[in-house]
Amino acid sequence: MTLVGSKKNGLSSALDAGGPRRRRGRGDISPLAMRTAQLILTAAVLGAWELSVRTGIVDEFFFPLPSDIFQTVWLWVSSGFVFPHLWITMQEAILAFLVGAAAGLLLGFVLARVRFLERLLDPFLQMFNALPRVVLAPIFLLWFGLGIWSKVAFGFTLVFFIVFFNTLEGVKSVDRVLVDNARMLGASEKQLLRHVFIPSALTWIFSSLHISVGFAITGAVVGEYLGASAGVGYAIAQAQGVFDTKGVFAGMFILMIVVLIIDLLVNRLERHLLRWRPAQSS
Amino acid sequence: MMPAAQADPKKYAVELTGCTKQFPTPGGETYFAVRDINLKVEPGRFVSIVGPTGSGKSTILNMAAGLLSPSVGEVKSFGEAVSGVNRRASYMFQQDPLLPWKTVIDNVSLGLTMAGVSKAEAHSEARRWLEKVGLKNFADRYPHQLSGGMRKRTAVAQAWIVNPDILLMDEPFSALDVQTRQIMENELLQLWQESGKAVVFITHDLDEAIALSDEVVILGAGPGSTVVGSYEIDIPRPRDLLDIRDDPQFVALHREIWGRLKIEVSKTYETAMAEEGEVA
Repeated sequence: MTLVGSKKNGLSSALDAGGPRRRRGRGDISPLAMRTAQLILTAAVLGAWELSVRTGIVDEFFFPLPSDIFQTVWLWVSSGFVFPHLWITMQEAILAFLVGAAAGLLLGFVLARVRFLERLLDPFLQMFNALPRVVLAPIFLLWFGLGIWSKVAFGFTLVFFIVFFNTLEGVKSVDRVLVDNARMLGASEKQLLRHVFIPSALTWIFSSLHISVGFAITGAVVGEYLGASAGVGYAIAQAQGVFDTKGVFAGMFILMIVVLIIDLLVNRLERHLLRWRPAQSS
Repeated sequence: MMPAAQADPKKYAVELTGCTKQFPTPGGETYFAVRDINLKVEPGRFVSIVGPTGSGKSTILNMAAGLLSPSVGEVKSFGEAVSGVNRRASYMFQQDPLLPWKTVIDNVSLGLTMAGVSKAEAHSEARRWLEKVGLKNFADRYPHQLSGGMRKRTAVAQAWIVNPDILLMDEPFSALDVQTRQIMENELLQLWQESGKAVVFITHDLDEAIALSDEVVILGAGPGSTVVGSYEIDIPRPRDLLDIRDDPQFVALHREIWGRLKIEVSKTYETAMAEEGEVA
């Protein structure tokens, strides 16, 4: 039910990064009233859906009753059926994110500091980045099997490039004055990295964190969908296989909630780590 | 190292001899930023470099700092050739040099912590400096929470805390409003008078240069500019910067130096106009 509400929440907090949310000037609606309006909107949309299915305007086979979907969700959750699948998907996403981010960071830093390597590797990186990643899924299935590693590899290709390009840009765009100043204050190459380059790149990486976390999960689910023995994507594919649209929708709904929760946590983390940043004013 | 008592070459905190800096242009030609610069700054002296836009003032400062090495010529600091960053100098940049992700106190103590001083010790020294520049209540703020003047003070504390023998300043106060700027200049003079440090101060503001300095060096119009004049400023110290512009000595010096600088400024202006004409 909180769907619309938390979506809005994430969006507005992304807009005014950091600091307690202030009430805005004249003509503005209080948060409580806004919440209520969002709930009403949710109820209206779901009610209209339910009604049009029940009256037969929309075919129940393609659009199952919202009440049925929530029942299926409840069944999956209460029976514990979905949790092993979720756990697998999360494992894949977390591994893909960690490995992809680490590799992207490392290569980003190296290429940003070594001009020769950047020029050498640039066309190849562009080529791989231009490749639609989904086409890699079958080959990863062949290489790594049906287990989690084919999904990790798939998610890795998505996360890696985002983190890599952001790191490269982040390190390269460091204000020359900050570098010169730190050097004049006696910074060694290692200290430059620690005090100037890494924090500077982190801002870039964090601003892409939402995207890369999202991609890690996307990678896991799509990978599972194309071939797996467990995971939420697999559960959805199974439901689809037996024309269980309720199951497909239930899987979608559960994924949505999970991603929202993760996004919320990422927001928190970002706000904490980038607390030195001025609040963005539009 | 030889313990030989070569007093003479060590006399100068900064010594540029025949320094030329050239860059290749994208068109394959050579651009001369500065040509044949000779500059000597004794310890404890306040020397200003004044010149029209594009006269390579910052290039000279960067060579003295070791951030740039001259294409031709030699840079020495206290008798030793400068290779890499000049470890006896601090640099105050025109732009904001504070690390935005560090608090004021961490920014100020950066030079000490990087030199291996313990954090507690560095922080207590930083506190002393923050008090000196009037920011002791702002130690835990982040730079973006400070005003421009306060950030400048933080930068001053950051540059001075490492106790350098030389201070290189590249139009440090040009971004400040006029009143804040005068206050900062006054404070700078006070700090400097107790310190015995050599200062190389870059500005395009002749008033500021005369008011602060022992010596004003005039650069010619760029590109490939060089030193065209050097003037001893013998207005007695301590000086009251707020009233100094009415001082007859100041007025006389200003007239004399401006007479020379004016020529270079109009040359720069004419070149700029000619180039604009070419483009148009």
